[in-house]
Amino acid sequence: MRRSSPRLLSLAIAAPPLAIIIWLFFIPFLSSVHLSFLRDGQWTLRNYYLVWRLYKFDVLYTLGLSVVSLILVIGIAVLLCGYLRIVGHRAVEFLFKVPLFVPFVVVGHGMRVLLAPRGTLNSALAQVGLIDLADPPSIAFGWGGIVVSLVWKNLALAVLLVLGAYRAVDEAFLEAARNVGASTFRQITDILLPMAAPSLVVASAFMFTSMLASFSIPLMIGSGEPPQMLMVDVYYRINYQDDLGTANALGMVSYLLAMGVAGYYLRTITAKAA
Amino acid sequence: MRDTSPAAQDLWRASLRMAGTVLASFVILAPLSSLVIWSFTQKWFWPHPFPQEMGLFYWRKVLEGDLFRALHSGFLIAVIVTALTLVLTVPLAYLLARYPIPLKAVILLIFLLPHAFPQLPVFVNATTLLYRANLAAKLSGVVLIHLVGALVYAVWTMTAVFKSIPESLEEAAINLGASRAKTFFSVALPLATPGIVASTLLVFLYSLDEFTGTLLVGSPFVLTLPVYMYRTSVGYELQVASIAALILMLPGIALLVLLERYMKSEYLSMFGRL
Repeated sequence: MRRSSPRLLSLAIAAPPLAIIIWLFFIPFLSSVHLSFLRDGQWTLRNYYLVWRLYKFDVLYTLGLSVVSLILVIGIAVLLCGYLRIVGHRAVEFLFKVPLFVPFVVVGHGMRVLLAPRGTLNSALAQVGLIDLADPPSIAFGWGGIVVSLVWKNLALAVLLVLGAYRAVDEAFLEAARNVGASTFRQITDILLPMAAPSLVVASAFMFTSMLASFSIPLMIGSGEPPQMLMVDVYYRINYQDDLGTANALGMVSYLLAMGVAGYYLRTITAKAA
Repeated sequence: MRDTSPAAQDLWRASLRMAGTVLASFVILAPLSSLVIWSFTQKWFWPHPFPQEMGLFYWRKVLEGDLFRALHSGFLIAVIVTALTLVLTVPLAYLLARYPIPLKAVILLIFLLPHAFPQLPVFVNATTLLYRANLAAKLSGVVLIHLVGALVYAVWTMTAVFKSIPESLEEAAINLGASRAKTFFSVALPLATPGIVASTLLVFLYSLDEFTGTLLVGSPFVLTLPVYMYRTSVGYELQVASIAALILMLPGIALLVLLERYMKSEYLSMFGRL
């Protein structure tokens, strides 16, 4: 079936969806790059200077939260999936798929209700006397709430991908290890983890970019005060200061951060697709 | 535990499994059950363990007001987006899977962009473009911005679906004298239907749950459920927001339960990106 297609027909099929992506993603992306160098109609680096002056800690904060969340997600997924692969536990496996289908905004709101100073978690803990009612601790409205929410949401995807990779490992390897007395933990670290490493790297790359670019979760469960995650900064900069230049310069920082990671992701995906 | 009797070992294992189930249930269900409690709460004074007064008051109130409008317009948008996406991507995916069309790598790369870069800053600039075209703050503008993400998901999943169908079946049809069009409609398309259905549900759910683009492009006139939920949550209308969150979760959870056994994990993994 490898023959050339009628050119006009394939053009007619490919053009409309391509036009939409180019019009509403490719061109806005270029205009974002362009506007980041523009202030009052002049070419300048002032926007980047403002980013450096006002937002350098926010960049670090965003990177830090993403790294911490990613380490937690991958760490938990590696061990949990090992248990699910070697021992098996259908109820737990099903439960960890649930967050896949829970939208980000719902995660944000659910965590607000659960983790707020007067949220359901503190209320439950207070009943067993674990916390001081006069001064309830708050996990929400700060970095803790953001990390918990990002981990909760991303863990589902990580479990799915890692478990898929683990399931592809031949049972014979695990059996051989068991025969020489390897514990479940050793089977994970010495067999499953090394053999699943490539898909683990792809999953991490994808999740890291999505954490860097997360918007609704930090918007809903963040503290509302600096430092903020980058996407929230972009949104506030436009909504409250109407400052497209600095907002786009912040956007550029996020593109550059994502690019290193995305470059790897793109290479693997296109290599598979070609 | 090595030297205890087999019965004691079994008991130990069973209780470990129980503990695992309980822990997983708590982790996954705590934020979600908080939503359920709040949706029925009429009076709840801190630090009582349970609401003092529960009932359907807010459910009744909410279903008559803005929430219903948001649900309605969100649903309408999702239906339009899904229909347009199907029409635009099924032929393109087939083309990409089967024919050596020119610039294939470039086309695939363009369809990867929206996944590789943070969406928010790009959508900010897309909103400017849509304002210039007099499409912002309208249903049509929101449909267009949803199409960006929807097309990307659909092209990638459906291309994979068509690739997974053995080419030999279509070759047989052609050898027997069928035209290319007939081969597509009576061989490839029926075989691809399960995958296309999965991809369609994914697109529908994506549009229903989309937040960032809707917030930017739709404000202030187009209200969908995620945006409505966000506004009520940060406005501390906790009951209303919780009801909206539960309704927003329903289609996803129903899908998870229904399709868990039919869906391949690679389709499932796409849901993590909502």
